[in-house]
Amino acid sequence: MEKLKKAFGACLVPLLSILLAFLIGGIIMAALGADPFVAVKFLFQGAFGTKAGIGTTLTKATPLMFTALCACFAYKCGVFNLGGEGQFLMGSMAAFLTCYFTGLTGFAGIVLALLAGALAGGIWGMIPGVLKITRGQNEMIISIMLNYVATLLMGVIYTSWIRDASVPQTPAIDEAVHLPRIVSGMRFTWGLVIAIAVGLILYYVLFWTNAGFRLRAVGYNMTASRFNGIPVGRYMLASFIVSGAIAGLGGSAELLGTQFRLINGFGAGYGFDGVAMALIGQLHPIATMLVALFFAVLRVGSTTMQAATGVPTSVSDIIQALVIVFSVAGMALTKLPEFEAWKNRVFGKRKEGAA
Amino acid sequence: MDWVSSLLLATVRLAIPVLLISLAELYGQRAGMVNIGLEGLAAIGALVGFLVCYITGSNWLGLLCGALAGIAVNMIYAFSTITLCANHTVYGMAINIFAPALASFIYRVYFGTGSDLKQIVTMSSVAIPGLKDIPIIGGLLFDQSPMVYLTLLFVVFTAVFFGRTRAGLSYKSVGEHPQAAATLGINVIGVKYLACVICGALSGIGGAYLTTCYSSTYTDGIVAGRGFIALAAVIFGRWSAGGILLACLFFGFCDALQIKLQVSGIAIPYQFFQMIPYLATVLVLSLIGAKQAGPRANGQPYRREQR
Amino acid sequence: MKKLLALLLAAAMLLTFAACASKPAETQTPAETTTEETAAPAAETETKTEEAPAAETTDGKTYKVAMICDSSINDGGWGAACYNAMIAAAERKGWQAEVTDSISQDAYYDSIVAYCMLGYDMIYAPGNQYTDAVLQAAEEYPDIAFALLNGAADTPEKAVNKNVSSLLPNAQQIGWIAGALAGLMTESGKLGFIGGMELDTTKGKIAGYEEAAKYVGEKEGKEVSLLNVPYANSFSDAPKGKEFATELIAQGADVFFGDASAVDSGAREAIDAANAAAGEIKIFDIGQPADILGQNECIICSQVTDNSAMVAASMEAVEAGTFGGEVLYGTLQNGTLSAGALSDLVPADVQEKYLSYIEEMKNDTFMK
Repeated sequence: MEKLKKAFGACLVPLLSILLAFLIGGIIMAALGADPFVAVKFLFQGAFGTKAGIGTTLTKATPLMFTALCACFAYKCGVFNLGGEGQFLMGSMAAFLTCYFTGLTGFAGIVLALLAGALAGGIWGMIPGVLKITRGQNEMIISIMLNYVATLLMGVIYTSWIRDASVPQTPAIDEAVHLPRIVSGMRFTWGLVIAIAVGLILYYVLFWTNAGFRLRAVGYNMTASRFNGIPVGRYMLASFIVSGAIAGLGGSAELLGTQFRLINGFGAGYGFDGVAMALIGQLHPIATMLVALFFAVLRVGSTTMQAATGVPTSVSDIIQALVIVFSVAGMALTKLPEFEAWKNRVFGKRKEGAA
Repeated sequence: MDWVSSLLLATVRLAIPVLLISLAELYGQRAGMVNIGLEGLAAIGALVGFLVCYITGSNWLGLLCGALAGIAVNMIYAFSTITLCANHTVYGMAINIFAPALASFIYRVYFGTGSDLKQIVTMSSVAIPGLKDIPIIGGLLFDQSPMVYLTLLFVVFTAVFFGRTRAGLSYKSVGEHPQAAATLGINVIGVKYLACVICGALSGIGGAYLTTCYSSTYTDGIVAGRGFIALAAVIFGRWSAGGILLACLFFGFCDALQIKLQVSGIAIPYQFFQMIPYLATVLVLSLIGAKQAGPRANGQPYRREQR
Repeated sequence: MKKLLALLLAAAMLLTFAACASKPAETQTPAETTTEETAAPAAETETKTEEAPAAETTDGKTYKVAMICDSSINDGGWGAACYNAMIAAAERKGWQAEVTDSISQDAYYDSIVAYCMLGYDMIYAPGNQYTDAVLQAAEEYPDIAFALLNGAADTPEKAVNKNVSSLLPNAQQIGWIAGALAGLMTESGKLGFIGGMELDTTKGKIAGYEEAAKYVGEKEGKEVSLLNVPYANSFSDAPKGKEFATELIAQGADVFFGDASAVDSGAREAIDAANAAAGEIKIFDIGQPADILGQNECIICSQVTDNSAMVAASMEAVEAGTFGGEVLYGTLQNGTLSAGALSDLVPADVQEKYLSYIEEMKNDTFMK
């Protein structure tokens, strides 16, 4: 019972934030002269209205789940890995180069490319980790900087090194290494299944194993963990590498499943989005995946919304940002001592009366 | 000679907007506010600056309103991080998503779906008679838009403020030891809010500079990563005004060189030059110790009760 | 308790303020601006049709066309011209037209599919860079027509459902139209060209520009060369165009042509600035692909590509149910390509020479 109450409380803030964000979004749409209900109807119709639409939504959700899980795992262990985007891109580059140079096809090629992606992401995630542990540096700034390095490196590949004739993009990978679709007529691939599996594994590891307990302990209170004999440095480095590997795996799944080539705009913004989703999901792997799905709905739907009603997609971006702003502010608010005092005053009495 | 002076001119041109935004971050971080939302603040500044300039025809008014817009948006960050003690990074990021979307939205609503190019007249440069004829540095330093002079003067002011004044020391103490600062009677919360006002204003001006002094049009994404380069410049310049000036000039130089080489058809991928600011920052951070890496209470929440 | 409520209220107010209040303060009534803006450009594009007068939609159905574009449609260049072409053609055929612009490269497909799902009849993709996205969507939506501007000649064959057509303005002739004038007007003998992406069509334009300028220059007793062409790898990075142009001017270029949308606008700013600094207009720009004479001081002429006739022809084919699998060429001869009005900066005798070159191109005797 107590647990259920807690879960309900945790859901309350994000749900209220979403409502509030949509309310403001609706006001903006009305100010534009569009009917907000029609616009929102098209938003959901675009995301769920057709079989193909659902497929597109799930496709869009897949990479977001990976980067959100990357952030979720790292934050749970107390390291602020903002480099999800860079790790995602390094993963996709590694997967692309593997396919391009080995020419392996079929199952073997796919597995190799996915592994290469996870490895590259893990290595890219290790850099800020090592600098944090050995030099005590701020991992956030370093991982942000490495995002840009990765983006530019990808630019070098598709504009100079491996370029597909005229357009600045690489050639597409062979059809034999595409991740297969699960349902015909729907675009999502086995990448989605991998993402969900990763999420479930994370959930199990974090909450049901000894190692997970220690990781969370490091994230919760580093000094106490050190005092209790947990090798904090080693655990932190491990969480950097694992979270990087998750993002890298996501990058390779996106390449093999959706984009098939490196191209301008690939993965742009996924890293930061992932961080926001993890926080809204309160660092719970399963909640985080649901939040990622919700953001994918907003994205896919907003394209349809613009096409159908002329409400620009930037309105959907504004709604997304407001969800982040409100929910994180709400959660910070609930942690303030003043709030605690207020809650006790209002609800405390009633509890006494009931008991 | 021509080659060198045109390279240096381009360096200054490219460095100024980044310099403005890095100074914004310096004022923020000196009070312990790590704001990674510079990109977004500059984007809204660019749009509002452009719009006001387009309507009124005054570049100065555009810059002023750009600053106000930057402040307004940054108050979201200020309130959430200072009063609610929320995570700095998340709010910076939220601003990076929110502000460019808002800017793009306002532009669309105001101008509608049309195909006319909207242009303003950029601020003209003011030459300082006599001095501008000095070879090489004449054109570089004394034949620029007034904003360039103002920005450079502001660097000097900032260096003096933080290095030589009592007020500056008090300001810095908020970023180093807020608890100690509070016992000395400094209004820590007040200084932090002030820092966010300055940070918002300067980032807004940096963005507005792009659309009122540098280019005559507004396009989505015009800030093009300058907010993050500015963040890098603050670290590379080791949190001092002079250092930041040099860092921005260095980054501007890399950018100018990149453009020159690209036009000359030299086949080094230009992205490598664009990587330099980021790689340089990582390198600096890996060489210096953590104790030297910026104000000590950077990004940490401050609660009065902790005293 | 009170304090907290005040706190919450302040938070809500602040955020609402930031989200909405700042908007009305800076913008006027949105509904007004939208309608007047969409009406204006449609009127100004002159239509040069060779087809029979518009076949009325017999079954009373309103056909719908949508355009996707990576640059903005008010970029004063490519995006604007393509948008106007579609609007003009739609106006004439009684179609309903929509656009999504400023989309990034990885979102081409998603945007196309969004329109397909809404039941649009034709997708108009103005550029070679959309080829892959169009082919993929065309495979999944066999009943929808895809008109690919600047698509390669063999693209329609690659579409499995035969529902893709290429609209292909002759890149060489485009280059010629600009190159001949550049050859006549240059004094330094050095020409500039700024590219957006290194597309085949862009390369074709560059080649035509260079060969025409060299040929005309030689006739005038000048040695003309084209400086190295920089690519912005973007169609929207105006500041980059400005830096490129500044650099090319420093290397001596005095006539510019381009193929980079908003990047060109940046280049023109730099040219205007250089002219202003020199006190006279000595460096020129040739606009494209609409007649934009007068937009900037430095523009002496525009190479005009009127795609509306080709778009209209595609619409007719859709109505008749015969769309697909073809390549529609746009040339000087059929009126798709032309030279726009010339500015006073071009002396009368030069204007005369230039127009005779254009005649030669039309009669297929240029450079022969």
